Amino acid sequence: MAAGAAGLLAIALTVGACGGGSSGSGRPEYIIGFQGPLSGDSSQLGINAINGLRTAVDRANTSGGLPFTLRLVQTDDQGTPEQGPTAAQKLIDNSGVIAVIGPIFSGATKASEPLYSQAKLLSVSPSATNPQLTSLGFGTFFRVIAPDTVQGTAAADYVAKALKAKKVFSLDDKSEYGTGLSTVLKKELAAQGVNVVSDGINPTKDYTSEATKIISEQPDVIFYSGYYGEFALLTKALRAKGFTGAIMSGDGSNDDQFVTQAGAASAEGAYLTCPCGDANSDPKAAGFVADFKRVNNGTRPGTYSGEAYDATNAVIEVLRKLGPGASREAVVRAFSSVDFEGVTKRIVFQPNGEVAGSTVYVYRIRAGKREVLGTTAELMKA
Amino acid sequence: MSFAHEFGQLTVDGLTIGSLYAVIALGYTLVYGVLTLINFAHSEVFMLGAFGGLFAARALLPAGGATPSGLTSVALVTVGLGAGAASGGLAAFALERGAYRPLRRRGAPRLAYLISAIGASLFAANLAGKEFGRQSVPVPDLFTNGTVGRVLGAAVSVQTVIIFGVAVVMLVVVDRVVAVTRLGQAIRATAQDADTARLMGVDVERVIVATFVLGGLLAGAGGFLYAMTFNASYTMGFVPGVKAFTAAVLGGIGNVRGAVVGGLLLGLVESYGGYVFQASYRDVIAFLVLVGVLLVRPSGLLGEHRRRAA
Repeated sequence: MAAGAAGLLAIALTVGACGGGSSGSGRPEYIIGFQGPLSGDSSQLGINAINGLRTAVDRANTSGGLPFTLRLVQTDDQGTPEQGPTAAQKLIDNSGVIAVIGPIFSGATKASEPLYSQAKLLSVSPSATNPQLTSLGFGTFFRVIAPDTVQGTAAADYVAKALKAKKVFSLDDKSEYGTGLSTVLKKELAAQGVNVVSDGINPTKDYTSEATKIISEQPDVIFYSGYYGEFALLTKALRAKGFTGAIMSGDGSNDDQFVTQAGAASAEGAYLTCPCGDANSDPKAAGFVADFKRVNNGTRPGTYSGEAYDATNAVIEVLRKLGPGASREAVVRAFSSVDFEGVTKRIVFQPNGEVAGSTVYVYRIRAGKREVLGTTAELMKA
Repeated sequence: MSFAHEFGQLTVDGLTIGSLYAVIALGYTLVYGVLTLINFAHSEVFMLGAFGGLFAARALLPAGGATPSGLTSVALVTVGLGAGAASGGLAAFALERGAYRPLRRRGAPRLAYLISAIGASLFAANLAGKEFGRQSVPVPDLFTNGTVGRVLGAAVSVQTVIIFGVAVVMLVVVDRVVAVTRLGQAIRATAQDADTARLMGVDVERVIVATFVLGGLLAGAGGFLYAMTFNASYTMGFVPGVKAFTAAVLGGIGNVRGAVVGGLLLGLVESYGGYVFQASYRDVIAFLVLVGVLLVRPSGLLGEHRRRAA
């Protein structure tokens, strides 16, 4: 990880240097901002996303077909609602920033969007899945991922019909994202006639008494709505106490870091759902994966990398049409009618900023690796 | 299921985490004994010990290999503990040299020590974050963690046995070191009256260093044990550090056995509280107990024994 952090820094410096050089050549410059967790316990998801953004910016700059150059400016909100507004304000105050990719986490998004709305600055999240976010009247907010109403419902159906669970323990991390997902999940499980017990616990390190509580309920499935850092510790605690039921979580835990932090032995057999496919195993995304590895020192795309790449490319597409010198407001207006074929999906927005269409995938840890089992729809038929 | 039904399990879990709090609390209490100083950077000694042990275990265990068993496991855990203790001891030594000794030489006021401690703590945590990454890092599986038996109806895992067993051994050894060895005598003499101890030929500077290192060895080994369950990260020291400090105050700061009682009690209260109420109230309950005890007994359960460090 030390090498990773150093690499990140090195790339940031290089990107900065390139940007400066190009603007020296006379072409005007647009800045694309990034807001997300770049430090903190679940920062891998932010790093995955910014690497996707970086890949898109690098591709656009080296393609040579643009009447402007692009530069990336990042702010770190540590994934928390507390840091969100400060991080957003930094980007808003930078007059060169024409659009923002992010925020990454739902809590930070909810806290930051009022500022973006006010500044009429476009913000496209590759990953914030809380259902409420598109109904709060944020005129400048778009996301390229399906909300948790879609994921929660699909995950619940999968648990009820494919795993045939009779009793489910639903635990959330009390965050904007976690409660949003668990609410939908519980509702759909109840509708499917599954017995649901639920609890909420703020992110912590010590899940021993919670594990005792869960095991004493003897559920067939435990579903955790939260991020991988905590899910890893919860999984460790449950397995150490000999829990034999299925352990499951959503997109916030869908990263290889989950396996690393829980340890391969504890993580084995865990299920993860995500409204996102795996670019690494998708033949159509081979070009993206190759570019991604080239730009990011050989790192493979992770969860949200493809979504961030698509979001950035959609923004670049809009900028290309508008040409240099466009206002922030014009970019927001043009973005709402974008129609762009990305590597993860076709990006077309509903009026509220919700991306059209939605497929939920199920992943499972096998022999220490995250594998795609298929979409929930396919798996329930089988 | 009821609280009574899970009582045994919660007790076992509470004693396990409590024994770790006790091990860290000893570092606070020993240093307070000789210097009347709360060493707030102790939590970072704990963190650095965890990384030291983790890196040693990792170096000996190739990634992706099978989980070792038998004697290999015993050896690996021992090496991890040793490396953790050594890193902790080294960190505590460096801390004393860098952050406290210069102040003592210049006769700085009390407040300066506190600021220096906080500064050293922030520095060490962020240095670790920069060098070891900002993600949590797990200790590789050094043994297969299964249930070894049942106590009071509670499943006891291999890991629980290791953590509790090692912690108890360390606690007993420290208690004996302070009670019967020459070093212990010197530590107690310094705690009672540093000036008189110096007149009697005790090398007080050496005693102070030795006390820091002793606390560091404990915290380092404790850090490794903690990381086996909860992973290591550059911010890992803060919460257990605060808890251990609480445990030391709860038992009576400066009092070695008080730290042990305080640590175990805090662990139990947290474990029961986390089950009976919502898990998120765990810390709230722990600190309510602290406030409650201090209202009734301001000098802690066993009394503040600054004048007799043991």
